[in-house]
Amino acid sequence: MKARLLESRRLLTLILVGAFLWSLLNVNWAEGLVHPGGLEALGQIALALFQPRLSPDILAAGAQASWTTVAYAVTGMTLALAIGLPLGVVASGVLTRVGWVRRLNVGSARFVLAFFRSIHELVWAWLFVAAVGLSPVAAVLALGIPYGGVLGRIYSELLQDVPEGPLRALRGAGASEWRVLWYGRLPMALPDMLSYTFYRFECGIRSAAILSFVGLGGLGYQIQISLADLNYGRMWTFVLFLILLVLLVGGWSGIVRRRLVV
Amino acid sequence: MLRAPSVLSRTNLSTDVVLDGLSKRYDALEALAPLSLRVEQGETVALLGPSGSGKTTLLLLLSGQMEPDTGRIVLSGRDMARMRSGRERARLVGMVHQQFDLVPQLSALHNVLAGRLAEWSLWASMVSLVWPRDHDMAVAALARMGVADRADVRAGRLSGGEQQRVAIARLLVQDPAVILADEPVASLDPARAGEVLALLVSVARQSNKTLVASMHSVELAREHFARLIGLRNGEVQFDLPNPQVTESMLHALYDLRGLRGES
Amino acid sequence: MSELPDVRTFPRSRTLPLRLDVLCISAIVAVVLVAASWLTVLNGDRIQQHGFFSTETLERSLTFLRDLLGIGTGRTPAFAQWEEWRKAATLAYDTLAMSVLGIGFAAIVAFATFMFGARNVMVGELAPYGSWVWRVVFVLVRGLYIAARGIPELVWAMVIIFVLSPGLLPGAVALGLHNSGILGKLASEVVEGLDPRPIRAMRSTGAGHMQVMVYAVLPQALPRFMTYLLYRWEVIIRTTIVVGFVAAGGLGLQFRLSMNQFHYTAIAMLLVWYLILVVGVDLLAAGLRRLAR
Repeated sequence: MKARLLESRRLLTLILVGAFLWSLLNVNWAEGLVHPGGLEALGQIALALFQPRLSPDILAAGAQASWTTVAYAVTGMTLALAIGLPLGVVASGVLTRVGWVRRLNVGSARFVLAFFRSIHELVWAWLFVAAVGLSPVAAVLALGIPYGGVLGRIYSELLQDVPEGPLRALRGAGASEWRVLWYGRLPMALPDMLSYTFYRFECGIRSAAILSFVGLGGLGYQIQISLADLNYGRMWTFVLFLILLVLLVGGWSGIVRRRLVV
Repeated sequence: MLRAPSVLSRTNLSTDVVLDGLSKRYDALEALAPLSLRVEQGETVALLGPSGSGKTTLLLLLSGQMEPDTGRIVLSGRDMARMRSGRERARLVGMVHQQFDLVPQLSALHNVLAGRLAEWSLWASMVSLVWPRDHDMAVAALARMGVADRADVRAGRLSGGEQQRVAIARLLVQDPAVILADEPVASLDPARAGEVLALLVSVARQSNKTLVASMHSVELAREHFARLIGLRNGEVQFDLPNPQVTESMLHALYDLRGLRGES
Repeated sequence: MSELPDVRTFPRSRTLPLRLDVLCISAIVAVVLVAASWLTVLNGDRIQQHGFFSTETLERSLTFLRDLLGIGTGRTPAFAQWEEWRKAATLAYDTLAMSVLGIGFAAIVAFATFMFGARNVMVGELAPYGSWVWRVVFVLVRGLYIAARGIPELVWAMVIIFVLSPGLLPGAVALGLHNSGILGKLASEVVEGLDPRPIRAMRSTGAGHMQVMVYAVLPQALPRFMTYLLYRWEVIIRTTIVVGFVAAGGLGLQFRLSMNQFHYTAIAMLLVWYLILVVGVDLLAAGLRRLAR
């Protein structure tokens, strides 16, 4: 038993290293891999960090774009909650007891959640934009659907991992599974659920910024067009806005999550 | 004694331990009242006393992991406070704890070889993880402790008694002049506790090392140690050779009335 | 008969074990944010002239779906042609390689630095006595992690494209750089959660700080490092298609080309390959994770 386990971790390391080497072989190591002039351009970009354009209209544009990004993130998260919470409850299987009905419910909910999660938010965004054009609600859907899948999966696990004791007590008092969920599982799982939701919101801000690359407005969009215009100083201003936004939301999220753990 | 051939025997240098006016406070609590004592090389000393009496504090001070508020510790003529480097200190003092001395993911062999780290360069240490250096020395130490067959087993999979033996084997390899032990057998069942403690004391006696151990069990202390020091509320109640300690002294030592922290 | 005590004088009992002050404020802020955000979004939507819940949107969506499935266009859909499947298979293979390369780069960087980003062994209770060098290194490493993961993979890709010609490598480097920050931070947090006792015991053998790191910190952190590595790979495979869009490699490149040419059936087929990759990697990672324990 011990010898086998010793092997398994070493085996894993070997597999990982082997996979990495295999992937290296697949790169086209032809000449022309590196652009000599590119380093110069990068140097220019780097230098521009120290000269961000801080004129009032650019700052206003930055603030505006930041708000757009935040708005997308928040609306996306509300959609994610609307998707993740009900599907997560069904997927956790806590409402139905046994039998093929349960397996069908749980199975389909898990499948839907997995499907939502599998596709990157940008891919969803491209699909929605191709379908209905550059509407902001396309951004909301593009963020909400995959995040809903993630939230649903985590919620289902958290609801399942709740300690059995209090639930048994509730059932003994005659509560139905619905009541057990409302009065037992949800209150106990709530701090962890809120904590993870806030963590996802942090990620959501970054995703919302990237979504705007698709042309939906926001910080990502501004960064992209500044880069395309070779206007590096302007680009850095927006990048700094993004970093600031991420730090702000991250800080808030951190405070809330610390309080929840107490 | 197990040691790299070229190194001078450390136990040839006289390593008396002298404590001079040592004391330590934690905020308002006087963990250790000023105490002075001398431990001669090769003595086996047991620290007795209820929890909170200052045994652990004294050991932490002796091992150099904590600095005293007043007083000093002199080991083989050197003031401990002046020893800046951990390497120098480790040649003189080694410590074994009640539990969790070993890295669970490393094999017993590598845990034992960690006792040689002070002698190896960083590069040699890393290479040794793949091709163990001083392999024979480590196996001999494990054999001495009766666990040579567990050499390649991960420390996390060993039993409590086996882990303590490996920890002591590491001390053998480290070869300090003074061995400190913080309740080394308190987590073991009585039968194994006796075995492991006997091993520890025999290791100290065989190479004339000083052994200072805080002991949870008075019976075991009586059985194996030559000198008993009783601590209570941070003060020394008695400091006597084993035969001279009476039952009433021990009763008074552990009496709940008047004990700090008890109502 | 005794008087009933005045209820108003009782201290208010707390039914939830939560500190309500920060959370109350946060809840209010959250509600305001939600309302304001939805207003902004729906307002912006109106400017686009067709509301999201209008019939026109529905029509356009249905048309899009039809195009995806290749109904009524008269051309053979891409996914019905064996040749297209074969070409896409090569691209999927490339995408897989790019993801492995990416996580590999991230793992190398994270592995080399994660111990130096852990608070307890660098500046905390397990740090070496009085050496400011370790403090500086700690701040540097943490700062690098923040910078690396703060910049989205897409932005990294756009920057790297300046230097490396389009293909697998720039995408992998972009993924690697971004994820080294994430993996590094996760791994540092593992170190911060370690039991300090074996580390202290290792120190008492007289080992130098780096030796203590290699012998006591690294082995304890490694199993979880591997788990996080596999988990990150699952996330990366999803992002590889996106990075490929910019860095011009794998499925992402073909995706962009098909979008530009409005070859919607090709997009449908690429999406299928994408899903195959994602599910496959998820299963692989889950299996490999069992080896890590």
